Amino acid sequence: MSTTAGGRFAADQGFLARRLHAWRVWWTMLVICLEERLVYRGDFILGTLMRFLPIVTQVFLWTAVFGATSSGSIAGYSRNDIVAYYLLTMVSRAFSSMPGLAGGIARGIRDGSVKKYLVQPVDYVSYLLAARIAHKLVYYAVAILPFAGVFLFCREYFPPIPDWSTIGVFVISLLLSFLLGFFMEATLGMLGFWFLEVSSIVFAYMLVQYMLSGHMFPLDMLADIPTGIPGLSVAGLVRFLPFEYTAYFPAAVWLGKVQGAELVRSLLVETAWVVVMAVACRIAWWRGTRRYSAFGG
Amino acid sequence: MHNSSPSHPSHRPSEQPSAGGKAVLSVSGLTKEYRVYDKPEGLLASVTGLFHRKNRVVEALKGVDLEVGKGEFVAMLGPNGAGKTTFLKLLSGIITPTRGTARVLGHVPWERTDDFRRRFALVMGQRNQLWWDLPAAESFRLHKEIYRIETRAFERTRDELVDLLGVRKLLLQPVRDLSLGERMKLELVAALLHEPEVLFLDEPTIGLDVVAQHALHRFLAHVQAERQMTVILTTHYMKDVAALCQRLVVVTEGSILYDGSLGQIVDRFTSHKIVTLDFDAPPEASRVERFGFPAEIRGPQVILRIDRTRIADALPGILREEGVRDVSVEDVPLEEIVAQLFRSGTSDAAGISAPTGTPR
Amino acid sequence: MNRYLSIFATFARVCLVRDMTFRANFILECVTSLGWMAMNLAFYLLVFTFTSEIGRGTGWTKEPFFAFVATGLIINSIVQALFMPSAEELTEMVRTGGLDAVLVQPLDAQFLLSMHRVDFSAFANGLVGVGLLVWAIPRLPHPPSPLALLLYPLLVVCGVAILYSLVIMLAAATIHLGRNQSLYDFWFYLTNFSRYPAEIYSGPWGGPLRALCTFVIPILLVVNVPARVIAQPFTGQAWGMIVGALLAALLSLVLSRWVFQSALAKYRSASS
Repeated sequence: MSTTAGGRFAADQGFLARRLHAWRVWWTMLVICLEERLVYRGDFILGTLMRFLPIVTQVFLWTAVFGATSSGSIAGYSRNDIVAYYLLTMVSRAFSSMPGLAGGIARGIRDGSVKKYLVQPVDYVSYLLAARIAHKLVYYAVAILPFAGVFLFCREYFPPIPDWSTIGVFVISLLLSFLLGFFMEATLGMLGFWFLEVSSIVFAYMLVQYMLSGHMFPLDMLADIPTGIPGLSVAGLVRFLPFEYTAYFPAAVWLGKVQGAELVRSLLVETAWVVVMAVACRIAWWRGTRRYSAFGG
Repeated sequence: MHNSSPSHPSHRPSEQPSAGGKAVLSVSGLTKEYRVYDKPEGLLASVTGLFHRKNRVVEALKGVDLEVGKGEFVAMLGPNGAGKTTFLKLLSGIITPTRGTARVLGHVPWERTDDFRRRFALVMGQRNQLWWDLPAAESFRLHKEIYRIETRAFERTRDELVDLLGVRKLLLQPVRDLSLGERMKLELVAALLHEPEVLFLDEPTIGLDVVAQHALHRFLAHVQAERQMTVILTTHYMKDVAALCQRLVVVTEGSILYDGSLGQIVDRFTSHKIVTLDFDAPPEASRVERFGFPAEIRGPQVILRIDRTRIADALPGILREEGVRDVSVEDVPLEEIVAQLFRSGTSDAAGISAPTGTPR
Repeated sequence: MNRYLSIFATFARVCLVRDMTFRANFILECVTSLGWMAMNLAFYLLVFTFTSEIGRGTGWTKEPFFAFVATGLIINSIVQALFMPSAEELTEMVRTGGLDAVLVQPLDAQFLLSMHRVDFSAFANGLVGVGLLVWAIPRLPHPPSPLALLLYPLLVVCGVAILYSLVIMLAAATIHLGRNQSLYDFWFYLTNFSRYPAEIYSGPWGGPLRALCTFVIPILLVVNVPARVIAQPFTGQAWGMIVGALLAALLSLVLSRWVFQSALAKYRSASS
């Protein structure tokens, strides 16, 4: 790379070179991820398919429940809706779940390997995000097969394909759920700056997340459960927490459970949460690294 | 004197009890092969790796013969990957051989009868058998149960060993808080609690400092002599060998290169002695060259390598040389011999065993 | 036998000492596993706000169903406490060479490798399970006969034996593969099928699935047989199931023993 040219040009080229370099780093990361996946390919496809197994039991459970009640619908869901709902939450989770992210960050802090990001000219949060995107893209490239298989197999449970605007909102909600999941887990991992052992915090988070995200059951079923605050059901409360956007919300959008003003409001709440968590993550990183360097790591 | 097998001629220490004529351990044609899969590198290679994997057969041991009598302390010396650990694992019955036979205390090791396993112990320097989070005393108690040691015998042996090593105060500390040396001492105590007749030590001094090494040497020498235990020790360090063993087995690439006494290895594998001359002042190179032997000048000191057969003839002349204040004649250091043995490998063992060397 | 019992007691004691040295961690583990369980119980309560029975005419109304859940908690907590920690450690032992140290000891390797760790925090769920069972039994529409109460512990042991065999076979598989990332996952997905009464698996897909999980991988017998015996009327059909559970437990123990031994044999011939 020439550095002899005039100042301004050199600066521009420097910028370009940096960009190119960033892309090359990213590309290398992608290729490494892909190689890793391919080495464990058998595991991977089997593992993805196995992840649908709990749904099978849930579907049978709800089928039995529907069989015992005379009404054809529970909380607005027919049996077919329930099957479709569980399958769609799998798609949401494919975007919002971040296996190993929080634990990895905390481990890096504990064993000191995070230090290198204080030294290298790399922004840690951006690096993590890029790595995660690469990781996810590779995941989708391989997981699309088992997913497509399962969805095709279960197609009769789904209502007719919604219109384009709904599909658009569905895609947006998935992308937002990816960002939300990322920033929530990254922030959680950075608690490692303050607590030695974050694995129990992560576990507690996963518990709450599992229940309140709608991964376990459609959150509409909580509509009749009172919170004690007059006029507010548990479902109404959960709507304002970030969790439901990582599983329930995209699925509910596709199934047309959330529409009109409700849909707009939910999207706004979700965006707000993404911003809040992104800022929280930044602050945690700044304060954490300051504390880290102050105490000598 | 011991009636030794032809594979390791003479020079067995005379303190060996003659009753030990029956071998405690005998191995013949012991061979271990295993398959390794070469992991492909690169994206394309991992894709083709989906369809077929390359593997090759590696011979860890190539038909080893060995016989060890009761009460012998044998050192196995060899570079990394020579097959020492594999050999010990075979003798312990952890793995089964591809070919060949072995008998330890009258048992075929890989049949793994409880009776056999109760009579020997294996200590591996790089692995700990003690429970990491607990005081060693707890691990010892577990050992007592597993090996069915009588309470009284257990306490007596434990106290004796612990006092010998001076580690009594470490017994109640969690093992993870101990230093490597302290841990190794306790590992040894654990291994000796059931009073094994045969002890396999796999690199017990690895990573230890000089003081800890020394303490282990003293301890092992003492216990071995007292109990008439048969010990096989693998190591990288000549110090271990010099301090402990009468018999040395050098292994490279899965074969035995040398089997005999420590003293004899010098006779066998070196043709020369090291003669060191002290001059008044650093001599000129031309003066030294006149001696006609390979020489090295270190300040006022000159180191000559002189063929053993010629030493008697050459020395008087050298001593008459002007300015020689002092002279010493020594054997080639063991380290050097062994390093040379390692380097030469099995293929040309004769190459270094100079004119006087006896063929194996 | 006596000797193995006393060795196991020593293992348990040593593990208890260890747990008590890391008391905070121990309590945390209890709390998280209780949290997980409480969440599941809340979900079942939610389900019963929409229906009075799981499956029409199956008899799994609220109290019997909770007796079922309690049985599952008890069996799973025993397995989690006694066998899972050791099995999970096995791959690590293969990697670090700890397995070698085990193989030279004068003990049955399978016993040592599957039982040397006890996770006492896992008993927390079992205790809740016992409590839940004690709550449910007097409220059952068909109170259990003395015979049923007598058979119940035996059938729980059978359930534990079946799960133990599965754990052992999975662990043996990890000796082959050399890594255990998915051991716990696989375990979770498999036992998932045993969580609910077998009756829910009906229809064109459920029928074959039920047959598969009863006769091929007898995972459905684990909780269902003891839970049925205690929570449902004792009919002639029950005897068939009891004999089936006993047979399944015996066969899977034998099979898992064979699988584990051959995995060890392979380890012995394939490593250097």
